[in-house]
Amino acid sequence: MNAVEAVDLYKKFGDVVAVNGVSLKVDEGEIFGFLGPNGAGKTTTIRMLTGILRPDRGEARIMGYDVYREPVKARMSLGVVPEEANPYPDLSAWDNLTLVGRLYGLPRRTVEERALSLLTLLGLNDARGRKAKNLSKGMRQKLLVAMALIGEPKVLFLDEPTAGLDVLSARKIRSLILDLRKKGVTILLTTHNVEEAGSLCDRIAIINNGRIVETGSPDDLRIKSELYTYVSVTFDREVEEDAKQFFNAWEHRIQNSRLLIICREPAAPIVKVVEYAKVKGLNIVDIHTSPPSFEEIFVKVIGG
Amino acid sequence: MMKTGGNSLTHLWRSVWSICWKDIKIYYAKGPIVVTGVLFPLFLWAAFYMGRGLEFKEGLASLITLTVFFTSSSVTPIIAPWETRQRTLEMLLSRPVTVTTILAGDILASTIFGLIFTSPIVISGVILGIVPNNVLLAVAVIVLIAAGFSSLGVLFSALPTDTPADVVLLSSAVKLPLIFISGVLTPLAQLPPWLLVISVASPLTYFTDLLRWLYASGAFFPAVTDLVATVVFTSAFTAGALKLHKKTLSARLQRR
Repeated sequence: MNAVEAVDLYKKFGDVVAVNGVSLKVDEGEIFGFLGPNGAGKTTTIRMLTGILRPDRGEARIMGYDVYREPVKARMSLGVVPEEANPYPDLSAWDNLTLVGRLYGLPRRTVEERALSLLTLLGLNDARGRKAKNLSKGMRQKLLVAMALIGEPKVLFLDEPTAGLDVLSARKIRSLILDLRKKGVTILLTTHNVEEAGSLCDRIAIINNGRIVETGSPDDLRIKSELYTYVSVTFDREVEEDAKQFFNAWEHRIQNSRLLIICREPAAPIVKVVEYAKVKGLNIVDIHTSPPSFEEIFVKVIGG
Repeated sequence: MMKTGGNSLTHLWRSVWSICWKDIKIYYAKGPIVVTGVLFPLFLWAAFYMGRGLEFKEGLASLITLTVFFTSSSVTPIIAPWETRQRTLEMLLSRPVTVTTILAGDILASTIFGLIFTSPIVISGVILGIVPNNVLLAVAVIVLIAAGFSSLGVLFSALPTDTPADVVLLSSAVKLPLIFISGVLTPLAQLPPWLLVISVASPLTYFTDLLRWLYASGAFFPAVTDLVATVVFTSAFTAGALKLHKKTLSARLQRR
Protein backbone atom coordinates (compact mmCIF):
# COMPACT_ATOMS: atom_id res chain seq x y z
CA MET A 1 0.00 0.00 0.00
CA ASN A 2 1.18 3.52 -0.77
CA ALA A 3 1.34 5.78 2.28
CA VAL A 4 0.36 8.76 0.13
CA GLU A 5 -1.32 8.61 -3.23
CA ALA A 6 -2.56 11.43 -5.43
CA VAL A 7 -4.28 10.83 -8.73
CA ASP A 8 -4.73 13.63 -11.26
CA LEU A 9 -5.22 16.47 -8.76
CA TYR A 10 -6.47 19.62 -10.47
CA LYS A 11 -7.29 22.96 -8.90
CA LYS A 12 -8.17 26.27 -10.50
CA PHE A 13 -8.55 29.62 -8.71
CA GLY A 14 -10.48 31.96 -10.98
CA ASP A 15 -8.66 31.81 -14.30
CA VAL A 16 -5.43 30.54 -12.79
CA VAL A 17 -4.70 26.81 -12.86
CA ALA A 18 -2.75 26.27 -9.64
CA VAL A 19 -2.36 22.49 -9.90
CA ASN A 20 -2.74 20.73 -13.21
CA GLY A 21 -3.09 16.96 -13.01
CA VAL A 22 -0.61 16.10 -10.25
CA SER A 23 -0.22 12.38 -9.55
CA LEU A 24 2.25 10.89 -7.13
CA LYS A 25 2.79 7.81 -4.99
CA VAL A 26 4.87 7.74 -1.81
CA ASP A 27 5.86 4.35 -0.41
CA GLU A 28 5.68 3.57 3.29
CA GLY A 29 8.86 4.53 5.15
CA GLU A 30 10.09 6.73 2.32
CA ILE A 31 11.31 10.33 2.52
CA PHE A 32 9.78 11.97 -0.51
CA GLY A 33 10.87 15.45 -1.51
CA PHE A 34 8.44 17.82 -3.15
CA LEU A 35 10.28 20.71 -4.72
CA GLY A 36 9.35 23.62 -6.89
CA PRO A 37 9.82 27.35 -7.28
CA ASN A 38 7.47 29.85 -5.59
CA GLY A 39 3.96 29.67 -7.03
CA ALA A 40 4.60 26.26 -8.64
CA GLY A 41 1.62 24.66 -6.84
CA LYS A 42 3.36 22.99 -3.87
CA THR A 43 1.23 24.49 -1.09
CA THR A 44 -2.02 23.97 -3.01
CA THR A 45 -1.05 20.33 -3.61
CA ILE A 46 -0.23 19.84 0.07
CA ARG A 47 -3.55 21.46 1.06
CA MET A 48 -5.36 19.05 -1.25
CA LEU A 49 -3.39 16.09 0.11
CA THR A 50 -4.34 17.02 3.68
CA GLY A 51 -7.98 17.43 2.64
CA ILE A 52 -8.15 21.11 3.64
CA LEU A 53 -8.82 22.08 0.04
CA ARG A 54 -11.04 20.09 -2.30
CA PRO A 55 -9.64 19.62 -5.80
CA ASP A 56 -11.81 20.39 -8.82
CA ARG A 57 -10.77 16.96 -10.07
CA GLY A 58 -8.74 14.02 -8.79
CA GLU A 59 -8.34 11.88 -5.71
CA ALA A 60 -5.97 11.67 -2.77
CA ARG A 61 -5.39 8.93 -0.20
CA ILE A 62 -3.42 8.78 3.04
CA MET A 63 -2.74 5.23 4.30
CA GLY A 64 -5.53 4.04 2.02
CA TYR A 65 -8.15 6.50 3.32
CA ASP A 66 -9.73 8.91 0.87
CA VAL A 67 -8.93 12.34 2.30
CA TYR A 68 -12.20 13.87 1.06
CA ARG A 69 -14.61 11.07 1.93
CA GLU A 70 -12.93 10.01 5.20
CA PRO A 71 -10.95 13.09 6.23
CA VAL A 72 -10.77 12.30 9.95
CA LYS A 73 -9.54 8.72 9.41
CA ALA A 74 -7.00 9.94 6.84
CA ARG A 75 -5.71 12.70 9.14
CA MET A 76 -5.48 10.35 12.13
CA SER A 77 -2.43 8.87 10.36
CA LEU A 78 -1.10 12.27 9.40
CA GLY A 79 1.03 14.90 11.09
CA VAL A 80 1.49 18.21 9.32
CA VAL A 81 3.85 21.15 9.65
CA PRO A 82 2.11 23.52 7.26
CA GLU A 83 4.18 26.34 5.84
CA GLU A 84 1.43 28.89 6.13
CA ALA A 85 0.34 28.15 9.68
CA ASN A 86 1.15 29.17 13.21
CA PRO A 87 0.58 27.93 16.72
CA TYR A 88 -1.96 29.97 18.71
CA PRO A 89 0.05 33.04 19.76
CA ASP A 90 -1.92 33.55 22.98
CA LEU A 91 -1.59 29.96 24.16
CA SER A 92 1.54 28.60 25.81
CA ALA A 93 3.73 26.04 24.06
CA TRP A 94 2.29 23.40 26.40
CA ASP A 95 -1.32 24.42 25.72
CA ASN A 96 -0.76 24.44 21.96
CA LEU A 97 0.75 20.99 22.09
CA THR A 98 -1.87 19.43 24.36
CA LEU A 99 -4.67 21.05 22.32
CA VAL A 100 -3.47 19.28 19.19
CA GLY A 101 -2.99 16.02 21.10
CA ARG A 102 -6.63 16.16 22.22
CA LEU A 103 -7.72 16.75 18.62
CA TYR A 104 -6.30 13.29 17.87
CA GLY A 105 -8.74 11.96 20.46
CA LEU A 106 -5.96 10.98 22.86
CA PRO A 107 -6.64 10.62 26.59
CA ARG A 108 -5.30 13.49 28.72
CA ARG A 109 -2.58 11.40 30.41
CA THR A 110 -1.22 10.14 27.07
CA VAL A 111 -1.25 13.67 25.66
CA GLU A 112 0.71 15.00 28.66
CA GLU A 113 3.27 12.19 28.53
CA ARG A 114 3.89 12.71 24.83
CA ALA A 115 3.94 16.51 25.14
CA LEU A 116 6.59 16.32 27.86
CA SER A 117 8.70 13.89 25.88
CA LEU A 118 8.50 15.96 22.66
CA LEU A 119 9.28 19.25 24.41
CA THR A 120 12.31 17.60 25.99
CA LEU A 121 13.44 16.05 22.69
CA LEU A 122 13.23 19.39 20.91
CA GLY A 123 14.79 21.39 23.73
CA LEU A 124 11.63 23.36 24.47
CA ASN A 125 10.86 22.12 27.95
CA ASP A 126 12.10 25.28 29.66
CA ALA A 127 9.84 27.36 27.42
CA ARG A 128 6.72 25.22 27.87
CA GLY A 129 4.90 27.91 29.86
CA ARG A 130 5.75 30.74 27.45
CA LYS A 131 3.09 32.00 25.09
CA ALA A 132 3.82 31.08 21.47
CA LYS A 133 3.97 34.75 20.53
CA ASN A 134 6.91 35.17 22.90
CA LEU A 135 8.92 32.30 21.41
CA SER A 136 11.70 32.89 18.89
CA LYS A 137 11.04 31.90 15.26
CA GLY A 138 13.15 28.78 15.67
CA MET A 139 11.35 27.76 18.85
CA ARG A 140 7.97 28.31 17.18
CA GLN A 141 9.06 26.14 14.27
CA LYS A 142 10.15 23.40 16.67
CA LEU A 143 6.81 23.72 18.45
CA LEU A 144 5.02 23.18 15.11
CA VAL A 145 7.13 20.07 14.55
CA ALA A 146 6.20 18.82 18.04
CA MET A 147 2.51 19.53 17.27
CA ALA A 148 2.82 17.44 14.10
CA LEU A 149 4.37 14.55 16.01
CA ILE A 150 2.09 14.35 19.05
CA GLY A 151 -0.39 12.08 17.29
CA GLU A 152 2.49 9.66 16.48
CA PRO A 153 1.61 9.82 12.78
CA LYS A 154 2.50 7.19 10.20
CA VAL A 155 2.78 9.93 7.59
CA LEU A 156 4.35 13.31 8.13
CA PHE A 157 4.06 16.34 5.83
CA LEU A 158 6.81 18.83 6.49
CA ASP A 159 6.47 22.09 4.63
CA GLU A 160 9.72 24.05 5.01
CA PRO A 161 10.58 22.48 8.40
CA THR A 162 14.01 24.10 8.65
CA ALA A 163 13.13 27.52 7.20
CA GLY A 164 14.48 30.28 9.40
CA LEU A 165 16.23 27.92 11.80
CA ASP A 166 19.82 28.36 12.91
CA VAL A 167 22.35 25.74 11.80
CA LEU A 168 22.15 23.67 14.99
CA SER A 169 18.36 23.64 15.10
CA ALA A 170 18.16 22.77 11.41
CA ARG A 171 20.58 19.88 11.96
CA LYS A 172 18.47 18.68 14.87
CA ILE A 173 15.35 18.66 12.70
CA ARG A 174 17.19 16.85 9.88
CA SER A 175 18.45 14.26 12.34
CA LEU A 176 14.91 13.87 13.69
CA ILE A 177 13.61 13.32 10.14
CA LEU A 178 16.12 10.51 9.62
CA ASP A 179 15.25 8.95 13.00
CA LEU A 180 11.57 9.02 12.10
CA ARG A 181 12.29 7.30 8.80
CA LYS A 182 14.12 4.56 10.74
CA LYS A 183 10.93 4.10 12.77
CA GLY A 184 8.98 3.59 9.54
CA VAL A 185 7.36 7.02 9.32
CA THR A 186 6.70 8.18 5.75
CA ILE A 187 7.77 11.76 5.19
CA LEU A 188 6.72 14.16 2.48
CA LEU A 189 9.17 17.03 2.61
CA THR A 190 8.65 20.34 0.91
CA THR A 191 11.59 22.67 1.01
CA HIS A 192 13.32 25.47 -0.84
CA ASN A 193 16.61 24.08 0.40
CA VAL A 194 17.27 21.79 -2.56
CA GLU A 195 20.58 20.53 -1.19
CA GLU A 196 18.75 19.45 1.97
CA ALA A 197 16.20 17.59 -0.18
CA GLY A 198 18.99 15.99 -2.21
CA SER A 199 20.71 14.70 0.90
CA LEU A 200 17.63 13.57 2.87
CA CYS A 201 15.18 12.25 0.29
CA ASP A 202 14.86 8.79 -1.18
CA ARG A 203 12.89 10.20 -4.09
CA ILE A 204 12.06 13.68 -5.28
CA ALA A 205 9.29 15.17 -7.40
CA ILE A 206 9.81 18.57 -8.95
CA ILE A 207 6.71 20.63 -9.68
CA ASN A 208 6.58 23.65 -11.97
CA ASN A 209 3.57 25.58 -13.28
CA GLY A 210 1.23 23.16 -11.52
CA ARG A 211 2.67 20.04 -13.16
CA ILE A 212 5.18 17.47 -11.96
CA VAL A 213 8.04 17.80 -14.40
CA GLU A 214 10.43 15.19 -12.97
CA THR A 215 10.37 12.38 -10.40
CA GLY A 216 13.12 10.05 -9.28
CA SER A 217 15.85 9.36 -6.77
CA PRO A 218 18.49 12.09 -6.38
CA ASP A 219 20.87 9.91 -8.42
CA ASP A 220 18.26 9.39 -11.15
CA LEU A 221 17.71 13.11 -11.35
CA ARG A 222 21.46 13.72 -11.58
CA ILE A 223 21.72 11.31 -14.50
CA LYS A 224 18.57 12.61 -16.19
CA SER A 225 19.76 16.18 -15.84
CA GLU A 226 22.79 15.37 -18.07
CA LEU A 227 24.86 17.82 -16.07
CA TYR A 228 28.59 17.25 -15.76
CA THR A 229 30.54 15.56 -13.00
CA TYR A 230 34.10 16.67 -12.24
CA VAL A 231 36.81 14.04 -11.64
CA SER A 232 39.77 15.67 -9.96
CA VAL A 233 43.10 13.74 -9.70
CA THR A 234 46.41 14.67 -8.08
CA PHE A 235 49.50 12.62 -8.97
CA ASP A 236 52.84 12.54 -7.11
CA ARG A 237 54.63 14.09 -10.11
CA GLU A 238 53.87 16.52 -12.89
CA VAL A 239 51.64 15.21 -15.64
CA GLU A 240 53.34 14.99 -19.05
CA GLU A 241 52.07 16.66 -22.23
CA ASP A 242 51.03 13.32 -23.83
CA ALA A 243 48.23 12.95 -21.25
CA LYS A 244 46.13 15.19 -23.46
CA GLN A 245 45.89 12.40 -26.04
CA PHE A 246 45.24 9.77 -23.38
CA PHE A 247 42.20 11.65 -22.04
CA ASN A 248 40.98 13.21 -25.26
CA ALA A 249 37.60 11.41 -25.02
CA TRP A 250 36.60 13.96 -22.38
CA GLU A 251 37.00 17.62 -21.83
CA HIS A 252 39.92 17.95 -19.40
CA ARG A 253 42.52 20.32 -17.99
CA ILE A 254 46.06 19.68 -16.84
CA GLN A 255 47.96 21.84 -14.41
CA ASN A 256 51.28 20.57 -13.02
CA SER A 257 50.49 17.36 -11.12
CA ARG A 258 46.72 17.87 -11.28
CA LEU A 259 44.23 16.58 -13.82
CA LEU A 260 40.59 17.66 -14.06
CA ILE A 261 38.18 15.63 -16.23
CA ILE A 262 34.68 16.89 -17.01
CA CYS A 263 32.31 14.06 -17.82
CA ARG A 264 28.72 12.89 -17.49
CA GLU A 265 29.55 9.50 -15.96
CA PRO A 266 32.74 9.23 -13.83
CA ALA A 267 33.35 5.46 -13.95
CA ALA A 268 35.12 5.28 -17.37
CA PRO A 269 37.48 8.23 -16.78
CA ILE A 270 38.48 6.85 -13.37
CA VAL A 271 39.45 3.52 -14.98
CA LYS A 272 41.46 5.48 -17.55
CA VAL A 273 43.20 7.50 -14.80
CA VAL A 274 44.28 4.29 -13.05
CA GLU A 275 45.52 2.88 -16.38
CA TYR A 276 47.46 6.08 -17.13
CA ALA A 277 49.11 6.05 -13.70
CA LYS A 278 50.21 2.44 -14.25
CA VAL A 279 51.65 3.15 -17.71
CA LYS A 280 53.49 6.27 -16.53
CA GLY A 281 54.56 4.86 -13.15
CA LEU A 282 52.73 7.63 -11.29
CA ASN A 283 51.17 7.36 -7.88
CA ILE A 284 47.69 8.80 -7.31
CA VAL A 285 47.85 11.08 -4.26
CA ASP A 286 44.20 12.09 -4.37
CA ILE A 287 41.18 11.38 -6.54
CA HIS A 288 37.65 12.59 -6.02
CA THR A 289 34.49 13.29 -7.95
CA SER A 290 32.21 16.32 -7.67
CA PRO A 291 28.76 15.55 -8.97
CA PRO A 292 26.58 18.49 -10.03
CA SER A 293 24.97 20.23 -7.08
CA PHE A 294 21.32 19.59 -6.52
CA GLU A 295 20.68 23.24 -7.01
CA GLU A 296 22.12 22.98 -10.55
CA ILE A 297 19.93 19.97 -11.25
CA PHE A 298 16.84 21.77 -9.91
CA VAL A 299 17.48 24.87 -12.01
CA LYS A 300 18.00 22.73 -15.11
CA VAL A 301 14.78 20.72 -14.53
CA ILE A 302 12.57 23.77 -14.04
CA GLY A 303 14.18 25.41 -17.05
CA GLY A 304 15.75 28.30 -15.14
CA MET B 1 1.39 1.79 18.28
CA MET B 2 -1.04 4.63 17.89
CA LYS B 3 -3.17 5.14 20.97
CA THR B 4 -6.36 7.00 20.09
CA GLY B 5 -9.59 8.08 21.60
CA GLY B 6 -11.14 4.62 21.48
CA ASN B 7 -14.18 5.38 19.38
CA SER B 8 -15.32 8.15 17.12
CA LEU B 9 -17.81 9.60 19.64
CA THR B 10 -15.13 9.95 22.32
CA HIS B 11 -12.81 11.47 19.73
CA LEU B 12 -15.55 13.86 18.59
CA TRP B 13 -16.31 14.99 22.13
CA ARG B 14 -12.63 15.47 23.01
CA SER B 15 -12.12 17.53 19.86
CA VAL B 16 -15.20 19.71 20.39
CA TRP B 17 -14.32 20.29 24.04
CA SER B 18 -10.68 21.12 23.21
CA ILE B 19 -11.73 23.73 20.68
CA CYS B 20 -14.25 25.14 23.17
CA TRP B 21 -11.55 25.30 25.85
CA LYS B 22 -9.17 27.02 23.40
CA ASP B 23 -11.81 29.63 22.56
CA ILE B 24 -12.59 30.33 26.21
CA LYS B 25 -8.91 30.73 27.02
CA ILE B 26 -8.08 32.92 24.02
CA TYR B 27 -11.22 34.94 23.39
CA TYR B 28 -13.62 34.89 26.34
CA ALA B 29 -11.45 35.12 29.44
CA LYS B 30 -10.63 38.75 28.68
CA GLY B 31 -11.56 41.78 30.77
CA PRO B 32 -13.05 43.94 27.97
CA ILE B 33 -15.21 41.07 26.67
CA VAL B 34 -16.53 40.41 30.19
CA VAL B 35 -17.30 44.08 30.79
CA THR B 36 -19.05 44.44 27.40
CA GLY B 37 -21.02 41.25 28.05
CA VAL B 38 -22.40 42.65 31.31
CA LEU B 39 -22.72 46.36 30.66
CA PHE B 40 -24.03 46.68 27.12
CA PRO B 41 -27.26 44.66 27.48
CA LEU B 42 -27.82 46.08 30.96
CA PHE B 43 -27.56 49.71 29.80
CA LEU B 44 -29.68 49.10 26.70
CA TRP B 45 -32.35 47.42 28.80
CA ALA B 46 -32.22 50.10 31.50
CA ALA B 47 -32.55 52.86 28.88
CA PHE B 48 -35.86 51.42 27.72
CA TYR B 49 -37.36 50.12 30.96
CA MET B 50 -36.26 52.58 33.63
CA GLY B 51 -38.60 55.43 34.14
CA ARG B 52 -41.51 53.66 32.43
CA GLY B 53 -42.88 52.52 35.74
CA LEU B 54 -42.67 48.86 34.75
CA GLU B 55 -42.07 46.12 37.29
CA PHE B 56 -38.83 44.14 37.16
CA LYS B 57 -40.91 41.02 36.41
CA GLU B 58 -42.17 42.57 33.18
CA GLY B 59 -38.70 43.44 31.96
CA LEU B 60 -36.91 40.30 33.11
CA ALA B 61 -37.63 38.33 29.93
CA SER B 62 -36.22 41.19 27.84
CA LEU B 63 -33.12 41.52 30.00
CA ILE B 64 -32.46 37.79 29.73
CA THR B 65 -32.95 37.85 25.93
CA LEU B 66 -30.67 40.88 25.50
CA THR B 67 -27.97 39.41 27.72
CA VAL B 68 -28.03 36.04 25.97
CA PHE B 69 -28.14 37.77 22.58
CA PHE B 70 -25.20 40.10 23.17
CA THR B 71 -22.97 37.64 25.01
CA SER B 72 -23.60 34.59 22.82
CA SER B 73 -23.22 36.40 19.53
CA SER B 74 -20.42 38.77 20.52
CA VAL B 75 -17.23 36.77 19.88
CA THR B 76 -18.21 34.00 17.46
CA PRO B 77 -18.30 36.34 14.43
CA ILE B 78 -14.63 37.22 14.76
CA ILE B 79 -13.07 33.81 15.50
CA ALA B 80 -12.84 32.51 11.92
CA PRO B 81 -11.55 35.74 10.31
CA TRP B 82 -9.13 36.28 13.19
CA GLU B 83 -7.79 32.74 12.98
CA THR B 84 -7.49 33.06 9.20
CA ARG B 85 -5.34 36.14 9.70
CA GLN B 86 -3.29 34.53 12.48
CA ARG B 87 -2.79 31.44 10.30
CA THR B 88 -4.01 29.21 13.09
CA LEU B 89 -7.12 28.05 11.22
CA GLU B 90 -5.05 26.09 8.71
CA MET B 91 -3.08 24.54 11.55
CA LEU B 92 -6.37 23.40 13.09
CA LEU B 93 -7.85 22.17 9.81
CA SER B 94 -4.86 19.94 9.12
CA ARG B 95 -5.65 17.88 12.26
CA PRO B 96 -8.17 15.01 12.41
CA VAL B 97 -11.19 17.30 12.81
CA THR B 98 -13.87 18.50 10.42
CA VAL B 99 -15.20 22.00 9.87
CA THR B 100 -18.35 20.86 11.71
CA THR B 101 -16.31 19.85 14.78
CA ILE B 102 -14.51 23.20 14.84
CA LEU B 103 -17.77 25.15 14.57
CA ALA B 104 -19.40 22.95 17.23
CA GLY B 105 -16.52 23.85 19.58
CA ASP B 106 -16.97 27.55 18.79
CA ILE B 107 -20.74 27.36 19.38
CA LEU B 108 -20.28 25.45 22.64
CA ALA B 109 -17.81 28.03 24.01
CA SER B 110 -20.10 30.88 23.07
CA THR B 111 -23.14 29.14 24.56
CA ILE B 112 -21.29 28.60 27.85
CA PHE B 113 -20.21 32.26 27.83
CA GLY B 114 -23.81 33.38 27.29
CA LEU B 115 -25.10 31.11 30.06
CA ILE B 116 -22.48 32.31 32.54
CA PHE B 117 -23.71 35.89 32.13
CA THR B 118 -27.39 35.03 32.04
CA SER B 119 -27.38 32.85 35.14
CA PRO B 120 -26.93 35.74 37.66
CA ILE B 121 -29.95 37.52 36.13
CA VAL B 122 -32.12 34.41 36.38
CA ILE B 123 -30.88 33.79 39.93
CA SER B 124 -31.54 37.44 40.88
CA GLY B 125 -35.12 36.92 39.68
CA VAL B 126 -35.45 33.83 41.85
CA ILE B 127 -34.12 35.77 44.87
CA LEU B 128 -36.76 38.44 44.20
CA GLY B 129 -39.42 35.73 43.99
CA ILE B 130 -39.73 35.82 40.18
CA VAL B 131 -39.61 32.14 39.28
CA PRO B 132 -40.50 30.72 35.86
CA ASN B 133 -43.63 28.58 35.83
CA ASN B 134 -41.61 25.64 34.47
CA VAL B 135 -37.99 25.82 35.63
CA LEU B 136 -36.70 22.93 33.53
CA LEU B 137 -38.29 24.27 30.38
CA ALA B 138 -36.94 27.75 31.16
CA VAL B 139 -33.41 26.36 31.50
CA ALA B 140 -33.79 24.34 28.28
CA VAL B 141 -35.13 27.38 26.42
CA ILE B 142 -32.31 29.65 27.62
CA VAL B 143 -29.71 27.03 26.60
CA LEU B 144 -31.43 26.69 23.21
CA ILE B 145 -31.52 30.46 22.74
CA ALA B 146 -27.84 30.78 23.71
CA ALA B 147 -26.93 28.06 21.19
CA GLY B 148 -29.08 29.74 18.55
CA PHE B 149 -27.45 33.15 18.98
CA SER B 150 -23.99 31.54 19.07
CA SER B 151 -24.82 29.91 15.73
CA LEU B 152 -25.99 33.25 14.39
CA GLY B 153 -22.56 34.69 15.27
CA VAL B 154 -20.86 31.76 13.53
CA LEU B 155 -23.11 32.35 10.52
CA PHE B 156 -21.77 35.91 10.19
CA SER B 157 -18.20 34.64 10.37
CA ALA B 158 -18.73 32.56 7.20
CA LEU B 159 -17.91 35.74 5.29
CA PRO B 160 -14.59 34.69 3.68
CA THR B 161 -12.43 37.46 5.05
CA ASP B 162 -9.40 37.70 7.29
CA THR B 163 -10.45 41.11 8.60
CA PRO B 164 -12.56 40.82 11.77
CA ALA B 165 -13.87 44.40 11.31
CA ASP B 166 -15.68 43.31 8.10
CA VAL B 167 -17.67 40.74 10.06
CA VAL B 168 -18.28 43.03 13.05
CA LEU B 169 -19.78 45.59 10.65
CA LEU B 170 -22.01 42.97 9.07
CA SER B 171 -23.13 41.51 12.38
CA SER B 172 -23.93 44.95 13.86
CA ALA B 173 -25.90 45.85 10.73
CA VAL B 174 -28.07 42.77 11.24
CA LYS B 175 -28.15 42.43 15.03
CA LEU B 176 -29.27 45.93 15.99
CA PRO B 177 -32.29 46.00 13.62
CA LEU B 178 -33.23 42.52 14.90
CA ILE B 179 -33.54 44.05 18.38
CA PHE B 180 -35.50 47.11 17.34
CA ILE B 181 -38.05 45.29 15.19
CA SER B 182 -38.68 42.65 17.87
CA GLY B 183 -40.74 42.91 21.01
CA VAL B 184 -37.70 42.93 23.26
CA LEU B 185 -37.77 46.59 24.18
CA THR B 186 -41.50 47.17 23.76
CA PRO B 187 -44.05 44.42 24.45
CA LEU B 188 -45.60 43.09 21.23
CA ALA B 189 -49.12 44.09 22.34
CA GLN B 190 -48.00 47.73 22.39
CA LEU B 191 -46.45 47.69 18.90
CA PRO B 192 -48.27 49.38 16.01
CA PRO B 193 -49.70 46.84 13.52
CA TRP B 194 -47.12 47.57 10.79
CA LEU B 195 -44.23 46.94 13.21
CA LEU B 196 -45.94 43.84 14.54
CA VAL B 197 -45.92 42.42 11.00
CA ILE B 198 -42.19 43.13 10.68
CA SER B 199 -41.44 41.79 14.15
CA VAL B 200 -42.32 38.23 13.15
CA ALA B 201 -39.12 38.18 11.09
CA SER B 202 -36.94 38.61 14.18
CA PRO B 203 -35.99 35.51 16.17
CA LEU B 204 -35.80 37.69 19.27
CA THR B 205 -39.56 38.22 19.07
CA TYR B 206 -40.26 34.55 19.80
CA PHE B 207 -37.43 34.09 22.28
CA THR B 208 -38.65 37.03 24.38
CA ASP B 209 -42.30 36.05 24.03
CA LEU B 210 -41.53 32.52 25.16
CA LEU B 211 -39.67 33.82 28.20
CA ARG B 212 -42.59 36.17 28.94
CA TRP B 213 -44.88 33.15 28.89
CA LEU B 214 -42.52 31.29 31.23
CA TYR B 215 -42.45 34.29 33.60
CA ALA B 216 -46.23 34.84 33.20
CA SER B 217 -45.66 38.44 32.19
CA GLY B 218 -47.88 38.76 29.15
CA ALA B 219 -47.02 36.54 26.18
CA PHE B 220 -48.44 37.55 22.81
CA PHE B 221 -48.23 34.32 20.79
CA PRO B 222 -49.17 30.82 21.99
CA ALA B 223 -46.19 29.16 23.74
CA VAL B 224 -46.08 26.36 21.16
CA THR B 225 -45.67 28.90 18.33
CA ASP B 226 -42.81 30.57 20.20
CA LEU B 227 -41.17 27.24 20.97
CA VAL B 228 -41.42 25.97 17.39
CA ALA B 229 -40.10 29.29 16.02
CA THR B 230 -37.21 29.20 18.52
CA VAL B 231 -36.27 25.66 17.47
CA VAL B 232 -36.61 26.54 13.76
CA PHE B 233 -34.47 29.69 14.02
CA THR B 234 -31.79 27.88 16.08
CA SER B 235 -31.70 24.97 13.63
CA ALA B 236 -31.63 27.31 10.63
CA PHE B 237 -28.74 29.37 12.07
CA THR B 238 -26.76 26.22 12.88
CA ALA B 239 -27.39 24.52 9.54
CA GLY B 240 -26.78 27.77 7.65
CA ALA B 241 -23.50 28.37 9.50
CA LEU B 242 -22.22 24.87 8.71
CA LYS B 243 -23.22 25.03 5.06
CA LEU B 244 -21.83 28.49 4.44
CA HIS B 245 -18.53 27.81 6.22
CA LYS B 246 -17.97 24.68 4.12
CA LYS B 247 -18.79 26.66 1.01
CA THR B 248 -16.51 29.60 1.78
CA LEU B 249 -13.55 27.69 3.24
CA SER B 250 -11.59 27.55 0.00
CA ALA B 251 -12.00 31.31 -0.59
CA ARG B 252 -11.06 31.96 3.05
CA LEU B 253 -7.81 30.02 2.80
CA GLN B 254 -6.90 31.93 -0.33
CA ARG B 255 -6.90 35.09 1.78
CA ARG B 256 -3.60 34.00 3.28
